[in-house]
Formats: sequence, C-alpha cells, structure tokens
Amino acid sequence: MNKVLVVARNEFMIAITSKAFLVGVLLMPVFMGGAIGVQFLTKDQVDLEPRKIAIVDKTDRLLETLIKRSETRNLSGIYREKEEPKVQIEPKFEVVDAGLSDTEEGQAEALLSDRVREGDLFAFAVIEPNAFEIGAIDSIRYYSQSPSYQRLPNWIRNSINEEVITTRINDLQLDPKSVAAVTQTIPLRQFGLVEMLDGVQADAKEENRALVFGVPFAGLMLMFMMVMSVAPAMLNNVLEEKIQKISEFLVSSVTPFQLMLGKLIGSISIGLIMSSLYLSAIYFLARHYEFADAVPPSIYAWFMFFMLIALIIFGSLFSAIGAACSEIRDAQSLMTPVMLMVVIPMMCLAPVMDSPNSFFAKVISLFPPATPMMMFVRIAIPPGPAAWEIILGTTLVVAFAIMCVWASGKIFRIGILSQGQTPSFAQLFRWLISKA
Amino acid sequence: MVLPAVELEDVSKTYGKHIAVNDLSLSVPRGSLYGFIGPNGSGKTTTIRMILRIIHPDTGSIRVLGHSEAAAANDRLGYLPEERGLYKKLTVRRMLRYYASLKSMPRHEIEREIKDWLDRFELGAWADKKIESLSKGMSQKVQFIASVIAQPSLLILDEPFSGLDPVNTEVIRSAILDLRNRGTTIIFSTHDMGVAENMCDSVFMIYKGNKVLDGTLSEVKQQYAADSIHLQWNGHSSALQEIPEITRVIDMGSYQELQFSGDPQVILHQIIERGDVDLFKVTRPSLHDIFIRIASPDSVPSETPDLTSV
Repeated sequence: MNKVLVVARNEFMIAITSKAFLVGVLLMPVFMGGAIGVQFLTKDQVDLEPRKIAIVDKTDRLLETLIKRSETRNLSGIYREKEEPKVQIEPKFEVVDAGLSDTEEGQAEALLSDRVREGDLFAFAVIEPNAFEIGAIDSIRYYSQSPSYQRLPNWIRNSINEEVITTRINDLQLDPKSVAAVTQTIPLRQFGLVEMLDGVQADAKEENRALVFGVPFAGLMLMFMMVMSVAPAMLNNVLEEKIQKISEFLVSSVTPFQLMLGKLIGSISIGLIMSSLYLSAIYFLARHYEFADAVPPSIYAWFMFFMLIALIIFGSLFSAIGAACSEIRDAQSLMTPVMLMVVIPMMCLAPVMDSPNSFFAKVISLFPPATPMMMFVRIAIPPGPAAWEIILGTTLVVAFAIMCVWASGKIFRIGILSQGQTPSFAQLFRWLISKA
Repeated sequence: MVLPAVELEDVSKTYGKHIAVNDLSLSVPRGSLYGFIGPNGSGKTTTIRMILRIIHPDTGSIRVLGHSEAAAANDRLGYLPEERGLYKKLTVRRMLRYYASLKSMPRHEIEREIKDWLDRFELGAWADKKIESLSKGMSQKVQFIASVIAQPSLLILDEPFSGLDPVNTEVIRSAILDLRNRGTTIIFSTHDMGVAENMCDSVFMIYKGNKVLDGTLSEVKQQYAADSIHLQWNGHSSALQEIPEITRVIDMGSYQELQFSGDPQVILHQIIERGDVDLFKVTRPSLHDIFIRIASPDSVPSETPDLTSV
C-alpha cells in the first residue's frame, strides 16, 4: 500500500504543479469571469447601420402605423435609458412603402428580393388583406437575407399585432381597459409539500424554479467536466509513460496493479480538489446572494460521493485503454464505447429532469455507468428518489466501480508491457479472463 | 551455505503458440557479474522480466535473493531496461527521489545517495534542472543512477552501454565494477561479446528459448577445441575460401578469425602461398565466434557442444 501512495503522491504532485492544472483550475474562474466581463463590455457593440424595410401593405391600413411607430422608436427607443449624452444601442428601423405599381404587384417578392440583394433594402414584408380577420394565418411574411437578425422581424410582428388587436377591440366596441383587465394572467406560485413536524403543520417551502433546475444541471455539468478533465488525462499519462519506456522501469519496482491504483488515486485526488474548489466558490456565491440555505448540505455530499465513483469508474477504464495502446490514435477506437458511457447521462438529462420519478428515470439512474450523474440529478430535484432506489443504485454503482478497477487492472497488467498492434475488443476480453 | 542470487528451475513461458523460454534452469552466484547473451528474440528479456516478477512463468520456480514471493525481494533489485525513459518534466533530483521512494528507501538515505551519485558522475550542478534540459549522455547517466540509487543487492542491466560515447562508457563501466566489488550481484545483458568477455565472470546464452551456454568464461571456452586461427595478413578474405581445410572465415576488421579442420601447418603453408602473413595463432574461439556459431542462420546444431552443464 505504501508504494501505491508513493505513486499517487508523485502523480498528484506532477499534476498539481503543472501549468495545465494552474490554467485549468485556478485560472478557470478568471477566464470565466473574463468571458462574462467581455460579454458585458461588448453587449452594446452592435451594428448601428439603419435597417431599411419595405412594406407591401395589402390592407392599406398598417403601413402608416408602422412608419409612425418606427419614427417614435427611432426618437426614443434606441438609446440607453437615463443616460446623457444619449448613447445609441440599437439601429434605427426605417419603414418605407414598397412603392410598386399595379403591374409590378404580381412580381412583388421577386422585385423586392433584388432590391435586398442590391443593398437598397435590408428586408421587406408583405401584409395580406386578411390580416385583420380573426383566425387569419399566414397574413404577414417577412423576407431577408439575414435570417439570424431577429430584432427587426420581432418588431414588425409585435407592432402589427398590437395594431390589429387594438383595431379588433375597437371594431367589437369593447373597452380596451376592460379587455386588458379581463385578460390579465394570474401568477402561479409553486410550493413543495406541507409536512407535519411534531404534530404541527409546517409551512411549505416555495420552490425556486431556477434552483430546482439549476442545481442538478450545474452539478451534472461539473461532474461531466471533471470526468472529462481527469479520465482522458489519465489515458494520456499512462500512454506517454508507455511510449517513453518509463513503465517498464516502474513495474520493476511496483506491480502493474499498484502502479494503476496509485495513478488512479493521484488523479482522483486532483479531481476532488478541483471539485471542492468549484463547490466552495459556488457555496460562497450562494451565501453572498442569500440562497445558500436553498441547497441542503446533503446535496454537496452526494455530489462528492458520486463524483468520486464516476472518477474511479472512468479513470480506471481510461487508464486501461492507455496501457493497451501503443499510439494515441489507436486509443480513439477503444475510447468510443467508454465515451458513450460518459455521454449517455447528458443525453438523458432532459427527460430525467422533466420526470425524475418516471420509469425511464428510475431505470437509467440504476444503470451503473449512468448512476453517478443520473442519481445525483434525481436526488437534487425535490423530493428525490425513494430510499430503496438510492441504496440499490449506490450498491450497484460501488460494485460496478470495483469491477471496473479489477478489470482495468488485468488489462493494464498485460497492456503496459505489450508492444505493437493495438488489441481488438476480443483480445482485451482474453486478457481479462487470462490467469497471467 | 550462501544461496544463489537468482535460481531458476525448469522455467517455461509461452505466448500463444510461441515458446519464449523452454524449461530453463539457471543459478547466478552471489557477487558475480553474470553475462546474459543471446540474439534478439531469443528469450533474454522474457527471462529478465520473470526474474524481476514483471511477468510470471507458466511452469517452474524462481527464487530471487532467497525469496520465491514476488514482492519480497523487489526493493533489493535494481533494473536498467534496454529501452529507457525518464520523466522529461521532472528535475533530476525529484525523479531520482521518486524512483528511490518506490524502493522503500528512507528519505535521509535517498538525499545522501542522490548527492553521492550525482557528484560521482559530475552531474551535481544539474540536480535541480529538468531532465529535458540534459544532453543524451547525461540522461543515460541519470537513468543508470536511477537503477542503482536504492543500493540494490541484485542489479540487472540490459545493454547498459547502448548509445554511450567512449568516455561515458568508461564512467559507467567503472561504476559497475565498483558495485560488483562491493558485493552487488550483477546480471548483464548485452549483444557486445567483447564487453561480455572483458567484464563478466560467467556467461549464460539463451537461443530460441533454450539455454545453450552457462558457466565461467574459461569453462565455456574449454568446451570448444582449439579450432580457430587468428590471422593478420595482406591478402583478401576471398582467397582464404579456396583453402579446403578452412570451414569459415569471420572478418573482424584488423584480423580474420578462421574456423578450420585438419592440420593448421598445412593451412599456414597454403596461406603463405597467397600472401604475406603477419600473425598466425591457433586458439580457442572467442565468445563472439561462439555466439556466431550458435546463433547464425547456417549454424549446425550438432557442431555445438553441450555446454549447459559446465
């Protein structure tokens, strides 16, 4: 065991004093903060070139309204609020009549498309005569060659709809204020269940939707990130030692299993330290914004537990792949099924978060390779899975982790000294069942 | 009675259908410098790996420094593999400290040994430099230090002079002989028969997984008749092929080694007829010649005496 710790300590010290670790862990928040800062600083750096749009108004009632609205917007709606001198943060919208003659109307779209191509217009819209009819569809069509720019079509749609609804209310001789009052929506507040404490009914906690979805999502992402940081690094590390012929020297001092176990412990320690740093940062941020109480300490503990299991499973599998291969490109084919196991929980996230107690969610969270991530997600969403599910899932995943370490140890032992062609899956299986 | 440093009894190892080592028995006396020779693929590395317990034999038993359990003697073994690698990003001191720690060496002894060995190899100034900044020769010396840092009782060196210049070869050679004089048993695997002949007390040769030579150098040579001639002359090797009594010519550069049958005086007369002779010495074959006779593709098994029991 002492030699395992010597290897683990060496792995840990090499990793923790490497530039990659400093960049990956200590500078990561700086980079993330920097990225947010850059986004904040550049949020006003928009293209202020006026957007000119031609309208083919077949109702003969909306063009003038749109022109007026655009003029109002251009005067006061495109500047940063409460700031003098005025700072323009959005482009002007210039609404013009398409100005087509009767003979040209049949080819309106084609002619206006040419004008957009020539740069005379940014876009054009066609409003059909039935726009005011209740139940009308396909009454407004917007054409442009800049499909990613959404501000202008959104403004056109909202402006026309507001005008059409107002006109409909007036046509029906309804009081606009009464309509607004009648159609006002009622907010829905979400609570957990009411519980009885010592025979006294305790108030139910109001659910914070951002936290209900944010905690499992953030936890899953962090776990995924840690696995993807630690496990492939182990593969590279083992493969590099094999290529550089360091392994043979090492296995003359320690057994291959001791070597793998030491590497695993060293790398997992790095992963746990990185996670602890991130979790601490999240906790202090939560305290600062006064929602730390909304995330119970057990969630942090479950996260660290499942994270440890995930790192053991994927760390051992990746190190076995590193030992079995002789070149990094050979590792790609062997990595595919393991990578799939890492990615499966990410693909199942949406249905599990939507229905954490569904049959699918129960099955996937009891499937050992997916258990660390999926069971954590289920535990993080109140009220969490039944106790028997947690006990069964935990037992299965711990057994699976032990099996992965055992199997990886067998492959590692033979692979670390093998040279030449990368073994096939059949050959890996033979290594697995071999007595040597 | 002092037990041998290494004892192999009827050891066999196969990889699939390939027999790497076949029913091998071997005894390496304590304190000896034992040469392991054999062509590539003959089973040398497999034998060394089995002695180091990196791999296990299919059959037979191995005792190392009196222990048959894998881990018991591990900390008293030093190993310099043929294909060497070092952690390029670590400093010399940190890497040596790591290797010594793997041999369970106490910390204070580690620091003392690192200093002694680095000073001996004039590498003291490089102790805190990264391995990647060292020259090839320096790296090789560091690799050698890594294998001996934990004061092993048994040191296994696989081609220790491979790639070294003459100056560094001499430094390492001197260190090896010092270790032997201090009682370390050294197993020395090499292709260089000259080195094996000059340094080793005993030699062991493995060929196609089988032991074909084992014993002290003089014992091995005694098994061969004086059927070699060392010749220096001004003629060409091809002229020697015309002499029917000469069965093989090995050009050694500055001289030729001839294998013959019949009367050497007759051969001398025939050579004199073809050129001027500077040296003509009837001798037993060199280790190099013995190696060639056994391992060359056209070797005749029946010509090889049974030398495994000398």
